[in-house]
Amino acid sequence: MKTKQSRDWEGVWVFGDYRNYFQNRVTLQLIAKGRQLARDLGTEVTVLVLGSQIHQYAMEYTAHGADAIMVVDHPNLKNYQVETYVRVVSQLVQNFRPEILLAGATAFGREFFPRLAKRMNTGLSADCVALEIDGSKRLLIQTTPAFGGDLLADIITPEHRPQMATVHPGVFEERIHDHEARARILYPEVDVQAEERVQLIRSKPDQSRKGGLEDADVVVVGGKGLGSKENFQMLFELARLLGGEVGATRPVILSGWAEENRLLGQTGKSVKPKLLITAGTSGAVQYTTGIQGAETIIAINRDPHAPILKMADLGLVGDAKTVLSLLLEKLRKRL
Amino acid sequence: MKSRESVVSAHHNYLVNQMLAPGFLIGNPVSKDEFYFLADVVLPGESEPKICSRLYDAHGGFILEMEAREIVQNPSGCLRQPFPGGYRIVTPSGESLLNVQTESFANGFLTRIQGKLYDQGGKLRIEPYYDAIQVHGEVGLWLKEPFRKK
Repeated sequence: MKTKQSRDWEGVWVFGDYRNYFQNRVTLQLIAKGRQLARDLGTEVTVLVLGSQIHQYAMEYTAHGADAIMVVDHPNLKNYQVETYVRVVSQLVQNFRPEILLAGATAFGREFFPRLAKRMNTGLSADCVALEIDGSKRLLIQTTPAFGGDLLADIITPEHRPQMATVHPGVFEERIHDHEARARILYPEVDVQAEERVQLIRSKPDQSRKGGLEDADVVVVGGKGLGSKENFQMLFELARLLGGEVGATRPVILSGWAEENRLLGQTGKSVKPKLLITAGTSGAVQYTTGIQGAETIIAINRDPHAPILKMADLGLVGDAKTVLSLLLEKLRKRL
Repeated sequence: MKSRESVVSAHHNYLVNQMLAPGFLIGNPVSKDEFYFLADVVLPGESEPKICSRLYDAHGGFILEMEAREIVQNPSGCLRQPFPGGYRIVTPSGESLLNVQTESFANGFLTRIQGKLYDQGGKLRIEPYYDAIQVHGEVGLWLKEPFRKK
């Protein structure tokens, strides 16, 4: 929505994406970041929660730092219907006029937010890796990988509101649960008539997503630099010996060397292990956004100028297959 | 766009008028012979709801007075029947007068109250609404802190 009076728009809103709550905690992470942005702007962070019987999420978001919770609790919102959700949220945005609107870059956020941005006639920065406030102009600086991930672009939305961004899970830290917290809670009277061009027949959890990659203390990752699917298989033995899990980059997935649920990075999972070993990966931003929470990174790459070596705590310049073979040989003897 | 507003606690809330609230008061708790219903604030470390009330029947006849976990005046012989997660107050004929049930979440509690409650004039003050209650007229006081009688 184009506006010359941007001060008419105030407040930071986070969309409460609780349907992915146990798989990623991106909503809680965004509340923490949204609170910081709101403080920089001298305003409040509000979490918008849509659904049916969603009281526990209003309480959870209160405990994690929300100043206000806006609840639309209606049986028509029990199942996610993108058209209904877009219509309801656009009514709320037009009425309450938040200057910033954030959501997780989950499967849900990626479908829902572009449609909402189109409806609101405003911009959207997808998969942001950083958010800051330009205090002098009251603008949200949205940092996101651009041009194939070769550079990070700072994007602003100077003339349209709200300023919208999706953020990858794991980029920000959530606040600790405060059971003494209180928040304002609002129940707007909004038209929740469902638009059911598509009907949900049934849903069931994707069992393949139960893997412990996100929770593993040790993660070993392979890139296309490993050269072949057979060489990539060495990572599974290494992970087994170290008690860890195996991750992969996008080129590896596209080559069919590993299942898609092992994908790390901007369009995959984010991990925060104590130790991450990355072999044959160059260090493209699309990948490194998924591993930047690792405590210690050991990188193996034959190119001494590979970006991954600048990010690593310990860099080994050499052929990944050779180094992994030597490492496995040592570990087999020790364990 | 109209909107209703209250305060929500991260620890424990009651569901009233389809809204979350840490506590609320209806009626006059200071008087000795008037209807009141107090759903008091539950502090961190506690999990049981604190309901105090003086209840009347549809004709304005006094039924009972209850404080927290016990019935303190009971001329009509009602019973307090506990069950997992809550309790109910039933008349000697077995009719349920009040039902209080607390749901536990990972880090919090939500109490739902059900009942049809009248004041000393026989006027309906609270009635069931979906899975909780609807208050007739204004809620006297929305509580953010535990209630203290002045």
